[in-house]
Order: sequence, then structure tokens, then C-alpha cells
Amino acid sequence: MGRHFSMRLISGLAIAATLGVASPASSATLRMAWSQDATGLDPHKQTAFSSIRLLELIYEPLVRLDKDLKIVPAIASSWEFSDGGKQLTFKLNPNAKFQDGKPVTPADVKASFERVLDEKTAAAARANFRSIASIETPDQTTVVFKLSQPDVPLLTAMASINAAIVPASEIAAGSVGTKALGSGPFKLEKWDPNSKEVLSANKDWAGGRVGVDVIDISVLPDETAILASLRTKQIDFALLNDPLVATLVPKETNLTLNRTPVLAYHVLQLNASRKPMNELGVRQAISCAIDRQDVLDTASVGEGKVTGPLTMPGYTSDASQLFCYKRDVEKAKKLMADAGYPDGFSATVIAANGEPATAASEAQVIQSQLAEIGVKLDIKMMELNVYVDAWLKGDFDMAVALNGGRADPYSMYNRYWTKAGNLQKVANYIDDTLDGQMQKGREETDPAKRKAIFADFEKHLVEMSPWVWLYTSYSYTAQQKNVQGFIPTPEGSLFGLSKVTVQQ
Amino acid sequence: MSYLTRRLSTFPLVMLGVSVLVFVAIRMVPGDAITAMLGTEAGLLTPAQREALANYFGIDQPIAVQYWHWLLGVFRGDLGISVTYGKPVLGVILERFPLTLQLALMSMCVALLVGLPAGVFAATRNERMSDLGVRIFAMIGQSTPNFVVGLLIIYTLSAGFGILPTMGEFTPLLADPLRNLGQMILPALTLGFAFAASVTRISRSAMLDVLSDDYVRTARSKGVPKRSVIWRHALPNALIPVVTLSGVEFGYLLGGAVLVEQIYALPGLGRLVLDAILQRDYALVQGCVLFIAFNFMVVNLIVDLVYVALDPRIRLGEGG
Amino acid sequence: MLRAIFSHPSGRIGGTIVVIYVVVALLGMLDITPHNPLQQYRIDRLHAPNTIYWMGTDLFGRDVASRLMKGVGQSFFVGFCSVTLATFAGTVLGLTAAWFGKAWDGLVMRIMDVLLAFPAILLALLIIAIAGPGTWTSIAAIAIVYTPIFTRVVRGPALSIKGREFVDAARTFGSSRSYILTRHLLLNLIAPLTVQVTLALAWSLLTEAGLSFLGLGTQPPASSLGLMLADSRNLMETAPWLLIFPALAIMISILGFNLLGDALRDILDPRTRRSAA
Repeated sequence: MGRHFSMRLISGLAIAATLGVASPASSATLRMAWSQDATGLDPHKQTAFSSIRLLELIYEPLVRLDKDLKIVPAIASSWEFSDGGKQLTFKLNPNAKFQDGKPVTPADVKASFERVLDEKTAAAARANFRSIASIETPDQTTVVFKLSQPDVPLLTAMASINAAIVPASEIAAGSVGTKALGSGPFKLEKWDPNSKEVLSANKDWAGGRVGVDVIDISVLPDETAILASLRTKQIDFALLNDPLVATLVPKETNLTLNRTPVLAYHVLQLNASRKPMNELGVRQAISCAIDRQDVLDTASVGEGKVTGPLTMPGYTSDASQLFCYKRDVEKAKKLMADAGYPDGFSATVIAANGEPATAASEAQVIQSQLAEIGVKLDIKMMELNVYVDAWLKGDFDMAVALNGGRADPYSMYNRYWTKAGNLQKVANYIDDTLDGQMQKGREETDPAKRKAIFADFEKHLVEMSPWVWLYTSYSYTAQQKNVQGFIPTPEGSLFGLSKVTVQQ
Repeated sequence: MSYLTRRLSTFPLVMLGVSVLVFVAIRMVPGDAITAMLGTEAGLLTPAQREALANYFGIDQPIAVQYWHWLLGVFRGDLGISVTYGKPVLGVILERFPLTLQLALMSMCVALLVGLPAGVFAATRNERMSDLGVRIFAMIGQSTPNFVVGLLIIYTLSAGFGILPTMGEFTPLLADPLRNLGQMILPALTLGFAFAASVTRISRSAMLDVLSDDYVRTARSKGVPKRSVIWRHALPNALIPVVTLSGVEFGYLLGGAVLVEQIYALPGLGRLVLDAILQRDYALVQGCVLFIAFNFMVVNLIVDLVYVALDPRIRLGEGG
Repeated sequence: MLRAIFSHPSGRIGGTIVVIYVVVALLGMLDITPHNPLQQYRIDRLHAPNTIYWMGTDLFGRDVASRLMKGVGQSFFVGFCSVTLATFAGTVLGLTAAWFGKAWDGLVMRIMDVLLAFPAILLALLIIAIAGPGTWTSIAAIAIVYTPIFTRVVRGPALSIKGREFVDAARTFGSSRSYILTRHLLLNLIAPLTVQVTLALAWSLLTEAGLSFLGLGTQPPASSLGLMLADSRNLMETAPWLLIFPALAIMISILGFNLLGDALRDILDPRTRRSAA
């Protein structure tokens, strides 16, 4: 027995020694962590938020959106619409270089967009660029896009990493998905999927000096582990998804939490092609019976803001003015009765596990609220892929969703609320008013008139209630106090890391 | 010899069965690599784009054809290409395997180092307070879900003591032993905790069995000291069930400990398969399951052989 | 039998625990709880234990004690159903394999080998992913994973008994085939089966917790011990009672089954019917 005891003592000391060792940070390494890793490296194909977060550091589009969602130069230094909005001309930044030192030329821009438009690439973003009829490259720094019709939102669509400019030589070699060669502030040195990536600063970056030399990203699937790592100073910077974890960060004296309102919206999608939700009265009753603020307070601990369909600055309106945004159970009951369902009905609501993190909680609050007007909901939580499969087929009664937002109302909603929208099957509702408003908004160039058109669109959409919009939340990043200079954007982009420094 | 050859001859058949089961099962799960990659954006694809992607992922052909091609590849040693890693499946698996192997070995060590002495000790003090104490402790170990243990450990260490091992990466043992141990010790303790409890109970009951054997009783009555009886006769025989149980547990741990790896963010085999299933990386799922099943069967075979060799009663008893 | 269990020290403790749990489970399933486990009192959310809510409230203001009772009921329901299914299937398969031998035995055992070689958690995961999560799929998944073990446990003794002389001797005395089967075979199987059942019950509770933790088990708003643990994860620091009570509940219930299993093994195994060494 004595032998055992002393062995345990020795091993105990060894354990203490190894545990105490945190990896020493070199003066310019940013140690980062997130819970979901990128799923691939092809900027034209990848649409997952987690992939985009990574690719935004490596690749660049022609233009990008700043923290106020204004379009600012990226690879292009200037641009202009002409010919009644049917021609878009870009002048490229002559200093823009790819990470192998070669300059970014109009030929690369043309090749990149042609790749996006090629159906064989299967680029989901192609739907936003169908108005491009041809691309011309008159000289060394100019690219001209000729459009088949005026398309004001096209410029905003080009600010996405799904329209990144990749080297024409890489396209020809077929290596775009396997080798990450972009013009952005960071180079991908190493990628271990679902485990780790290492990025190093691009010394030739045209956008200026990068504040750190290396970014070291660990994938920690459990967000409480991310919090623990922040606490013990193992990591300097982290991306968090779950409000329940994020709200614990401000309690730590050495940590800062950045809350940025995002464009993505939490919504309860109704399937208006199924009884009884094909009745307008039933849909409106559901809208009136839901207390949006309560869902926000319970599921997301109040982290966010109740919203209507339009979530982007410049188009948001006062949500309290929208139809039934103040809970009215009596009105809801009357609407149900008038529609022929005084005793309510039963339905199933689907939600994806963990996408968003608050999905299950939202479903349960909604279930409880709708029970008061006789709507008995059965909750079906699904693994993400299974949910996506059902969602794409429109195979649900109701669905709890967190859908992505865009800076422009047309790009955000044309897929659902136009007659030709590719996700009409998911929206399950369309009428002439909506379609007409969308088309007008697409062509109108005057900002004030656009705002008015889309305000009407929003009002009509909420009244017809095919979906019940709930709230927008925040994108969370947490950092140690010695990390300076990070500017978040409403799209949740981590591009601001290019200007970050780590104090010693 | 005939026992060995008989057991070995069932290998190919069972592996084939496993391969069919996993091949079909993963394709029955709703969603595919396309929805996994694009999520809800997959709805924006035109039919031509969808076809191009299906071709790229290798899922556009009938199942039987896909299976046949894959099986041919397996016989050549080629388990296919993982779409999430862009690399050959076998390579990806072998990269993750050392961590899982080390974790399994370390957990077993923890369990045996703690469990065996505890079990023997409790057996020699049978029915007294110390025996009861050990057994209750063992019970608690076996009754706590390992992910609860893991969560509590992480929380206590970080919030209470401000320390935590680096998570999310794996430094190979030979590259930096100290760092490696720092990363592995907590997961090994978490996993070993539950198994230590099993070892305690099994070794205790095995010791009790042996101690009451006629052979032992006779030796004792002849005046052979208790200690000698324990070490030279009781212990070796009591070890037999512990060995077999350890073997089974080891085979099981070689399949990766999904929950513990998830909590400690270890890039091991368990998480590899789980992520592969979630991302519908069919080739990777199939390859992993085959690999794990193979290891499990090999370990079980070795355990059975050792058991037959060690236990004289079996050897002399039925004709095999 | 009951007397034997309760005079055994482990049996006393284990038996008492199991009985208490079964009572709680039944109360939970019959909805006899302090509060309505599904009723959300959102104003009262995340309260620490007090006189109204003995174990506190959760994120939605639901009473934790009531949810715990219902959760115990749910976990036990899943456990008992899956183990019963597995025992039944395993016994039938094992007995028929041993008795009829040859091709049937070969087929059954190969299939069991395949199921055993397939990693358990992954098998359960795939079954649930295909059929969709829910109470009955969890039961099916756990039952399928455990059936091979029961088949083996039954087949072994069945085979050895089949070859023993006393079966032939009994037949010469005129006993019918089925009488032999029932009497001798099953009597010898009771011991290993009972032990295996208690182990399986403990394992199924752990697995149900693990599956719910991964989001594949019981579906909200129903509660199960595993689901309550999973939900408590991100609230661990602000509301520790959400973790402590379900964790204790799981631990003690598995403890009870293990102690009971030990006692049963001691009572039923002829070799251990001995006086203290």
C-alpha cells in the first residue's frame, strides 16, 4: 500500500505541472476558438456561416460592406452604374495581389464570375447574378458588367464572399476547392477539418498592415469549454453562438463581449398550403397569439430586438406598428372562430437541434403560447440535415427557423416572395401584390422611393402572415482585454480581425 | 488451432455484414452531402447544378452500383475519398487513431491501477466497513454518466482553480510528452473513472470466489500464510475475468469515446465518425465503421484466446 | 425471494432505492406531481429551490421537481421497455439457436456478431437518425443494441444443457420435450439473465441520457433525465440546481439497479451460497 501512495503523489505532481502550462503566446499570435468549423474551402460553393467566416479572411470580393452596411472598396477601388442601370463598371485597385504575389487582373474577375454563373460549379449564389449578360475587360484595371435588365441589388450581392475573386489560373487548374489562394489579409497555412486551422498574415495585402502575424483557431464544439478557455486565458478571441453562454462573459473582469445586431431573423414559418393555415384568419390568429417579446426574453434571455421582416438599417420600421405585434389573445380567438376553427387544431412544428442554439426553447415557448387559443403543437426536434431536407421540400406544418438576412430587401426576399423565387416551395405563399412590390423595388434606383416601396411590402407581408417574424439577435465575439481594434459588422463578419492587435 | 481458424473464418462474413449495414443505414438517413454542404441554400440550386454536385459527391448512381465500386476499392485497400477532408479516408482515420489508442490505453491504466488494488483490498476485508466503503465508491463511479463527470471536472477546474489543459488539439506523445499528457490526463481520468468501478467490483467478486475455493481452504488449513495464498494462488485466478473484461472494454474504447471527445474537444475517432455522419460524408462513415468493427473483432479474438489459455477449467473442460 | 433480497445488505439498499424510484416513476407517469411539469410560469423562471418550487424552476419557469418525477418516469419507461424487448428477443433467438442448431444457429449468431461488432453508440445513432428521434425510436435503438448480448447469454447455458446427460435421462423417464425445456433450461438461465437484466437497465438509463444529451432521445417539452442534463449545460453557472438534481437522480437510480443486481447474483449463484470467508 505504501508503494501505491507515493506513486500517486508523484503522478499528482506531474499532473499539476502539465496542467499549469498554457501555450505561451508570441507577441503577434491571436489564439481563437469557435464551435463550428468551415465545411470546405471553395468560396463559390460554400454557404454555411462557419465556412464564410473563415473564407472572408482569405478571399476578397470586388466590394464589401462596412459596419454601417455601406458598400466600400475591396478589390475594386471605384464603380459606377450607367446606361440606365444596365451597365456596371469597376476600376480595380492596382495594388491588389494574390497571396502568391501575382496581381489581381480583370481576367481573374471575369473568370471568377463566369465560374459562378457556370451551372457545373453549382454555386448557390448564382441566383443573384442571373442578370449578368456579359463581362468585358477593356484594359488592365477595368471590368465592365453588361446586364440584361436594371439590377440595383446586384452591387450588394457582389459584396458577398460567394462572389470572391479567385485566380484564373487556379480555376483552370481545378484547384479552387483544395488550395486556398486568395487576395485577402490572411493566408491559410494549415487546415485540420473540425479541429484546427492556422492562418498567417499576408504581407502583400493591399488593404494595409495586418495587426497580428498568426491566427491560431481551435474548434471546440462545446461552448462552455470555449468560455472555460477564455477564463483561463488559453485563448484570446472567440466566436459564440449561444446567448446563454455569451451572457456569462461580461461577468469576467478580464473579458469583453461584443454584441452586434445581425440581419438574420428568427421566424416561425407557417405552411400556408396546408389546412387550416390556408385560411388567412387562422394565420393572423397565430400571429396575434404569439408574444414575440416573451419568446425573445425566455429563449434568448432578452438578447435581441423584436422585428418585422426587414432587418437591415435604412429599411427597418417601428415594429410596434405592424399588424398584431402586440399580443391580443381575444382577437386571436375571434379570428380563429370566424375562420371556422373555434376549438383550434393540432399541428407539428419542426426545429433543428442547435441551429439556432435557441431553437428548442423558442419552440417550447410558442407551443405554450399557442395552446391558449387551442392550437396544440407537437414539437419535432431534428438533426440539422434532416431538418434541411424537410425544410427544402416544404414538408412541414410549421417550422422554427433562423434565416439569413441581406443588406438589400430584394436580395433577401426575392427567393421566397416572388412568383419565380426558387424557394417558393418553402414560403408556400405568394400573391400579386408581393410579387409586384418586389419587382418595383428591384428596378427603382431612388433610395427614398425604394424605402417606401419596401415599407409597403413589409406591411402587406405581415398582414398576410404566411410566416410570423419574431426577432433578431446578436452575433457574439468575446475577447481578452489586451485584444484591441476589432470592429464587428452586422453580417457577423470576422474581417475586422485584419486590424486587430494583441497587447502584451 | 481449429478454434482459431474457425473464429478467423467468420471474420470476412461479419465484416461484409457490417459493411452492408453501414452502407445502407447511412443512406437511409434523410439529407445527403449536398444538403450538408449548403444547408437551406441548397434550395437555390438549379437541376443542372444539383446533378453536377451529385456527380461530384458520387451519389448519383444506384446504391448497388455505389456499393460494388466501394467494395472493390476496399479489397484494394482504398476506402475512398472523404468529401469533407478532400483526402483518402484511410489516411484521415490513421491520423486520428493514435489519439484514440492512447486515450484507450491510458483509461485502461487508470482503471486497472485504481480498480485492481481496490477490489483485492475489499475482498480481503469482506463484509467489513472498508469493504462497504470501497463498494459504494465503485458504485458511484459506475453510475455517473461520463459526460456529467467531464462537465463537472472542466467547470470545477476552470472556475474554481483557474486552470485548464489546452483543448482542441493533440500533440503526439513522442513530439512533446509533457504537453501530450496535459491534454490527455483529464479525459483519461473521466473515462477511466467508470471502468475503474467495474474493475473493482469484478476483481472483488473474483477474489471472493477464489478465496472460497476448496484448494485455497485446504492450503490455509495447512497453515500457509494468508498473504502467500493471495499473491500466489488467488490473485492470478481472480485476474482472469478482469482480463477478459478489460479486453472487451479496450475494444469498445478503440471505437472512440464520442461524448468525452466532444466535451474535451479532442480530435479522436469518435468525433470523426459523429461529424462524418452529421456531414453525410458517406465514404468516411463507412471507412470508420469498418475500421472500428475490425479492431473490435481482433481485440475480442485475442481476449478469447487469452481466456482459453489462462483458464485451466475451460481448457480441460468442453472440447472447444 | 423478496425476503432473500431484503436480508442481503446490498439487496436492502438496492431494493429500497428501486422501489422508491418505481413509485416516483409511476407517480410521474400518472401526472401526480406537485405542479404541472409542462406548465410554463415564465415570470418565475430560473428560481433557486424554495418552498413553492422544491427543486427550483427552469428556463421556462417549469417546476424542476415535477419535471424530475416525469423524467424518472420517462427514463424508466424507456429502460424497462427496451430491456424487456431485448430480453424477449434475445431469449427467443438464443434458445432457438441452441435448440435447432446448424444453419439457423449459424445465421442468428452471424447477425448477432455483426450487430456486436458495430459500435454501439453509432448503431443507436443511425437507427434514430433514420427513424427520427422520439421515445419509441430510443426504445427500439437500445433494444436492438442489447439483443445480441442477451442472445449470447441465453445461448451459452442452453447449449451446454442441451448436451448434458440428465436431459437424456429425463427423456427416458417419459418427460415431454417442452417440459424439459421449461424446467431445466429456464431454471438454469434465470441467474445469468437476471443479472444481465439489471446491468442492461443500468446501461439503458446511461444510454438514454447520452442520446438525449446529443439531442437524439426524448423530445421536448417532455422531460427525461438525459434531456434535463443536456439543457442544464449552458445554465450550469447561473442555475446549478438544474444540473445537480437530475445528475443525482440518475446516479442513485443506476446505483440502485447495480446494488440489486449484485444482491440477486449473490442469491441466485449456487457457488456464492457460502458463509463468510
